[in-house]
Amino acid sequence: MVMELYFIALLIPVFCGLLSIFIKEKHKMKVCSIFAGISALLLLKPAIYSIYTGEELSYSFYISEIFGRINFVIDPLSAFFILVISIMSFVGIIYANGYIKPYLNKKLNTSSHTFFLMLLTASMLGVVTCQNALAFLILWEIMSLSSFFLVIFEEDKKEVLNSGIKYLVYMHISVIFIMCAFALMSNISNSFNFSDFTNAINQNSHFKDIVFILSFIGFGTKAGFIPFHNWLPDAHPSAPSHISGIMSGVMIKTGIYGILRTIVITGIPSKIVAYCVLIIAITSALWGVLYAISQHDIKKLLAYHSLENIGIIGIGIGIGMLGVIYHNGYTAILGFSGAILHVLNHSIFKMLLFFCAGNVYNKTHTRNIELLGGLIKKMPYTAALFIIGSIAICAIPPFNGFVSEFLIYSGVVLGMFKSNIALFLTLVITLSSLALIGTMAILCFTKVVGVVFLGNPRSKEAENIDSDASKVMTVPMTFLAILTFVIGIFPQFAVSVVAIPTLNILGFNTIPEEIKSIFELANLISVLCFIFLAILAITFGIRFLINRKTKKHTTWGCGYNKINSRMQYTASSYAGLFISTLKPLFKRVPHIKKPKDLFPKIAYYEVEIEDLEEAYIIKPLIKLDEKILSKFERIQNGNMQQYILFGLVFLILAILGLIFIG
Amino acid sequence: MTLILDILILFIMPFIMLGIIKKTKAFWGGRKGASIFQPLYDVLRLMKKESIYSETTSLIFKLSPIVNFSVVIFASLFVPLINGYSILNIPFAFIIFSYILGFAKFFSLIASLDTGSSFEGMGASREACFSTIVEPAFFISMASIIALTKVTSFEALKMILQNSGIYGILITILTVVTLFIMLLIEGCRVPVDDPATHLELTMIHEVMILDNSGADLGFILWASAIKMFLFGALITSLIIPDNLPVWISCLLFILSISLLAFVIGTIESSIARFRMTHIFEFIFIMSIMALLILTLVTYRIYGN
Repeated sequence: MVMELYFIALLIPVFCGLLSIFIKEKHKMKVCSIFAGISALLLLKPAIYSIYTGEELSYSFYISEIFGRINFVIDPLSAFFILVISIMSFVGIIYANGYIKPYLNKKLNTSSHTFFLMLLTASMLGVVTCQNALAFLILWEIMSLSSFFLVIFEEDKKEVLNSGIKYLVYMHISVIFIMCAFALMSNISNSFNFSDFTNAINQNSHFKDIVFILSFIGFGTKAGFIPFHNWLPDAHPSAPSHISGIMSGVMIKTGIYGILRTIVITGIPSKIVAYCVLIIAITSALWGVLYAISQHDIKKLLAYHSLENIGIIGIGIGIGMLGVIYHNGYTAILGFSGAILHVLNHSIFKMLLFFCAGNVYNKTHTRNIELLGGLIKKMPYTAALFIIGSIAICAIPPFNGFVSEFLIYSGVVLGMFKSNIALFLTLVITLSSLALIGTMAILCFTKVVGVVFLGNPRSKEAENIDSDASKVMTVPMTFLAILTFVIGIFPQFAVSVVAIPTLNILGFNTIPEEIKSIFELANLISVLCFIFLAILAITFGIRFLINRKTKKHTTWGCGYNKINSRMQYTASSYAGLFISTLKPLFKRVPHIKKPKDLFPKIAYYEVEIEDLEEAYIIKPLIKLDEKILSKFERIQNGNMQQYILFGLVFLILAILGLIFIG
Repeated sequence: MTLILDILILFIMPFIMLGIIKKTKAFWGGRKGASIFQPLYDVLRLMKKESIYSETTSLIFKLSPIVNFSVVIFASLFVPLINGYSILNIPFAFIIFSYILGFAKFFSLIASLDTGSSFEGMGASREACFSTIVEPAFFISMASIIALTKVTSFEALKMILQNSGIYGILITILTVVTLFIMLLIEGCRVPVDDPATHLELTMIHEVMILDNSGADLGFILWASAIKMFLFGALITSLIIPDNLPVWISCLLFILSISLLAFVIGTIESSIARFRMTHIFEFIFIMSIMALLILTLVTYRIYGN
């Protein structure tokens, strides 16, 4: 019965997507949000049931010889991801109602947009439950393609199309690796079912590492681990904000799901692979936050922060794997539970931040933070929500980001007590990198908050905002903000959601003693948060009891009284000191237009900071690719007859090959 | 009993520490100097004064002093005071300690950007930049100490001397130096920052609070005094022996904090502020100290 509920909930978005094609443009999103809400409601029961009881719900059916039996299984790990995907997509679709309004009646293809939006939701739900390799790949591909069409919503813009194609290419390279991993496993197990994979891998344990590495590369590209991250900072700014929110908050988490599912299937890989995962994760996190500091496009900056948070999730996974390898139960449980909780936390605050960025873009039509400023006066709700989101993403208590990072931290510290020298030093490096990431995130988000929302407006666009975002947009955002706070002060609830999925990954059948530790830590955080809030309230009271006399004046300008907005500190100068100390890590691409003639009209100097990976790895590779492929240009001559000839030649070669080899 | 003494010391000692620093500077400068209670009087006087807010500022600017003050009070709950015991003895204290201080930092940074001033962003930029180097070093040294003593709260600090012989002494010395540099940075003292300067271009912390006035400024000054005192308390907890009668350890605590203040004052009188570009080098000394602690601890645990 429960599984039928799940299938209905899975088909509702698909049906609604088809339905939305025939509805008036104005009402499309409304219908979609209603159906997405119903689907999320229906999914609550199977998801919560499985998370709290730890039982597996499964349903299988038979389509054809090729597929074998297709299994849809909701185990606690899937259930957790179902919960995140369904609720967060629903919130995103409600927000889309408001965001898409200015785009209506502009001859953009909203029909395909709503259709693919619903298809994306359905395919993500399918991906996290499907346990048949072939069907999984089909769903995975539907997910990638539908998100591609969502990214290129404003297809008339060239850079949007470019970044969409880049995303598509990355996804197709990644899927090759996933296919290889699955092909390898299905070859040794003669089946497409994940459960058969497990048995086969257990018998041939030498395949464990290679399968894990292949699927880590494949799924890691989706998640955005370094060095496969390059699509992220391009795709997110190009997509409309609700799509960036859903993609960054939910869709890239299917990559994390894939990695965790691989761990469930193959078991923990060998020591060296676990160390590599940890190193990649740390690099991703540092790289992400470093480039986020250098960016002045608000959505690109947030995209780089996705990289950072994926890195933190990866650190949790790496620590957890090392904990299992070194038989340290506390570290294993704390690492994995921290990682899974961070999946939830990141999806909440990242969506919140992307939606705020969307509100700002909707009102000012610019993403360049150097042109903004003083928005808190015109858009107080958005500003408050953005500040809450930034405090949460900087992992500062009493908000939710801290809870998951604290779990990872304590896993690292407890891991140090029972380790050898290599592990000890790795853990200390991890610990200090996490601290570095935290402070760099503070630097980055104080920059954004300070430059975008505080101070004086820096341009006409920022000055002439008429009103805050509409209620349709602020209500779902407020829900997310409340969620960050509630998880921050009552982490017991969130921790109980991740406890059983963690055991699911680790393959425990009984409930071990160590699981108590995460509840103890959650209680500790909760108590401390309440003490802190009490102190805050008392100080607040005392402050306004003592003295309420105030006066207004202009800002101190060193004796100069006519300060204007151009004298303010800018984002580049705020980040400048930090970036100049780490010069070799950035490639500066200057765009100069020198003043000419006696009365120069236009002159400017602009510095763009390019990703080192893109500059020194991706671009040379593409150049090489072009060089080789240009030799084959002659083949593509537009002559249909010749194309058919090529097909014929290929067929003949294939048959000849079969004859000789077979 | 200890609790009451702790709270008393927490509220009064930070001012006395500041007072002693100023007195020392006056002494080396050949002046008589103000009473050591002068910082306390200053704050009390500020509390009565009206606050002037810039027309550019928003609610954030008003919230920042309150958040700052609450955060340091909250952070002081984990720091060992008299007898080396903290008010709340919790595991993983150093993580919560630095993250909650991060909260204060976040608010003071955005509050300084809230004024739309041409100077305050400069201070904020420097403060944010320096803390990215300080925090990892602090985490490395704390993690090493925790690995050595197998205690995760701040009480690990007082256990270094007890259990490791010659290594304990070496590690203690290095930790004192590390925490002292951190005190100079976080407390905005010479040679990193000069609280007495009045040139906006060279200031770090002072320039961030240029626009605060009245009771707000009082709360900020109080909070930064407590913050500096907390790092002082961390240093003293390394040295003061355990299990003494409360009165003696209380006296010892006050004495060592005063001595620390004297040292800070002497440093301020003897050297000048570093140039902004050299501050990084100074902060990297802290990182090197932290790595040395790590090396020693690694050798102590895994050496044989």
